Amino acid sequence: MDRKLKLSQWIGFIILAFLILVPVLYSLGGALFCNNHLSENLKSFDSNTIKLLLNSILLAISVAFLSSFAGSILGFLLYKTDFAYRQFFKIIFLIPLFISPYIWAVAWKDFFFTLTGPTPEMQSYGDLILVQTLIYTPLAMLITGSAFAHINASLEEAGLMVFPIKKVFFKIILPLIKPALLAAFTLIFIFSISEFSVPAFYGLKVFTTEIFTQFSAFYNYNLAILQSTILVLICLLLILSEQKYLSQAPFLSVSNRGNQIKLYALKTYRFSAYAFLIFWLTISILIPFGSLTIEAFQDGYQTIFKAFELLKSTIAESFILAVTGSLISIFTGVLFAYLSWSKRTDRTSSISKLIHWTLLITFAIPSLIFGISLIKFYNRSGLYFIYGSALIIIIGYMGKYGFIAYKMIENAIRQLPYELDEVAQTEGLPRFKRLQKIIIPLITPAIFGAFILNFMLMFGDLGTSIIIYPPGTQLMPVKVFTLMANAPQSLTAALTFIVFCVTLCIISLFYIIFKKFLKPTYDCR
Amino acid sequence: MKNIIIGLIAFLLINACQKNGPEIVVYTSVDQVFSEPILKDFEKESGIKVKAVYDTEETKSTGVLNRLIAEQNHPQADVFWSGDPIRTVVLKQKGLTRPYFSPKAKTIPEIFKDPDGHWTGFSARARVLIYNKKNFKNLPVPQSIFDLTQAIYKGKFGIANPLFGTTTFHMAALFSVLGDQKAKALLQAFKQNQVVIAASNGDIKKRVLNGALACGLTDTDDAFEAQKESNAIGLVFLDQKGNPPLGTLIMPNTVCLIKNSPQPKNGQKLIDYLLRKSTEKKLAESCAQMPLHKDVTIPKKIPSLDAIVPMSINYIQVALKLKTIQKYLKKWIEN
Repeated sequence: MDRKLKLSQWIGFIILAFLILVPVLYSLGGALFCNNHLSENLKSFDSNTIKLLLNSILLAISVAFLSSFAGSILGFLLYKTDFAYRQFFKIIFLIPLFISPYIWAVAWKDFFFTLTGPTPEMQSYGDLILVQTLIYTPLAMLITGSAFAHINASLEEAGLMVFPIKKVFFKIILPLIKPALLAAFTLIFIFSISEFSVPAFYGLKVFTTEIFTQFSAFYNYNLAILQSTILVLICLLLILSEQKYLSQAPFLSVSNRGNQIKLYALKTYRFSAYAFLIFWLTISILIPFGSLTIEAFQDGYQTIFKAFELLKSTIAESFILAVTGSLISIFTGVLFAYLSWSKRTDRTSSISKLIHWTLLITFAIPSLIFGISLIKFYNRSGLYFIYGSALIIIIGYMGKYGFIAYKMIENAIRQLPYELDEVAQTEGLPRFKRLQKIIIPLITPAIFGAFILNFMLMFGDLGTSIIIYPPGTQLMPVKVFTLMANAPQSLTAALTFIVFCVTLCIISLFYIIFKKFLKPTYDCR
Repeated sequence: MKNIIIGLIAFLLINACQKNGPEIVVYTSVDQVFSEPILKDFEKESGIKVKAVYDTEETKSTGVLNRLIAEQNHPQADVFWSGDPIRTVVLKQKGLTRPYFSPKAKTIPEIFKDPDGHWTGFSARARVLIYNKKNFKNLPVPQSIFDLTQAIYKGKFGIANPLFGTTTFHMAALFSVLGDQKAKALLQAFKQNQVVIAASNGDIKKRVLNGALACGLTDTDDAFEAQKESNAIGLVFLDQKGNPPLGTLIMPNTVCLIKNSPQPKNGQKLIDYLLRKSTEKKLAESCAQMPLHKDVTIPKKIPSLDAIVPMSINYIQVALKLKTIQKYLKKWIEN
């Protein structure tokens, strides 16, 4: 590899690290070394704190396991079978990701109240697991679905010639989507363990509520940052184990026919498949979203118009910022995932690893702490052009969600055979031409999936945005949240309904663009 | 794609660097639905562009206060408009405010102003008990906070998490007025009577509205909103009788000028605007807040401060008290 390329990679990493990691390290350094309260704060890690932490880990494992399981079933049904209306369901099942988990929690509580009356209330850990599982299952569906879509059809066909479909599924398909399954588990675990709003709303005590209390009630930033560090360390350990496990697994699955997806006929399983999809549709979307819609329309269209009037000024700005953030994440993700994947042919992996850990740390740290770290670092003369502009939001988005794009794209690239790149290299094709002409066309669905997911998360982000948004900026989720505090229930529901409709329109538009302009290129290969 | 990203970033940068005429940056923890119209009116009248950062009690008013503290070395905000006095007192204690004696505050009672001019109060809310009439067909409506310790209300009443928002302030005021021992006994009795601890005042409002709770402590703005939503909701100003009566906690909005802020002159103009009688009138009409100026015309349903027996407190002392009881409150919630 030429020096110029290596240098530009290091420059790329340094810029990324400066933008998102240095602020976190700066805060952490302040909490650890620049005060005399460290020993006092360390004393507060008593048995109660450990119990709370274990509690949160157990909850996150349960949510991640259940979501990955349900998500992979949905992914298989919608990406690998001849199920009717697959495209429709693919979009519909993403709805829980459109809306803030907090609103979803409110909707579920309302529904249970309507169903059972004042008692029993929704405030047990089981309820928390249920709600979070329903919220994060689409994430697993998207990740595993993208992997199912990438499986080399010839491998499956060869398997089917010798073995029954059940055996092919367990011996060929499942091992091939293992990286995606583990990626989904890891991402959902991290989302769940760092989630604050749902447990706080149900009045349940978890580690993040403890961090929030130290931060907001006691203004003990140093302890809050130290506690956040523990969360980050747990996530790092999980990722390390995942990587160690995956490093021993073979992932070659896409060949020159890899872009042709083999679809299985459901045959006798059709009824069970329909039953499962309708069941999932009911519990994850119809019930909570139905409750919200009924409330939104209880005064006719008037409340809906009022909600739209309140939100219309925020739509364009939120859209531009989320698209910009998603594109940057995808750009970075493709670039560095490719460099990481090509480690067998050169020695670029050290930079890629650094990028991986950089993105992971900022993803795993709670939004509130990340936001405050950004403020402390960027609010200074010389950097005010970032802090005082929408760039701070882009950096916030990149830090919080860049890892997801990277992970999804890396997962897709991992399934490509190295020979593709090696042959092109032997033919003298430069690195970025190989990326552009061979790799990107093969992983277009994964790139699109990562873009959609990043867009949805950024478009709906509240945790980081509410802390860092520049004065005068209007972001849709922030405005909904600040309005709903004192708004009547019907207006809150109407605001959520508008958010849902806007997001659905945008996502549908992206799907149309993908189908019309991107998919043909990908299919023709 | 590279070109699209560069184009978008350039667009954002150009947009951010545009500066047209005078402006002011205000951070507020007052719900946006009420504060935004006031700020828009100021913008129209003064020609000064208002750049606002809003927060809400649902986030426990964490956003703006923590942001102000985090920004202390290089403040961006000119003015902080708080929904209660606690947060401005915290800022004053941290040395983040600067004194300003507004001429518009002369007729506001001294008790609602910082003697050093670091913050000024206006338009107040009160802590009240809201109740669902359907749940009180066979029950007397509590008239004192101590009534809630009676067995007939067991498991039927709620308060928001006392570590956050105006409930913190209420608890600190009770400790300040009753003394630690009596206040702790009251909270212990609440616990024994199975008080429900809700996520926020908004959550209390919602639970009382749908009948999950018979009654709960909240702020007047939430109470009046609840009454707009349902005729079944009643409200009580607690502890109006007795010898002497404990009184109801009155919580004014407070406004302060941020130390070393970029546009202090514009900040002073906004503070003057907020402290006007006309602003108090608007807040009375939009969110049932009680004016602190004497002769403000307000809707009939809004009680006058003169008609309420207030809890006798010193706002600065209450804010100081809060620091000493937080650990106790955390334990109280957890056990």
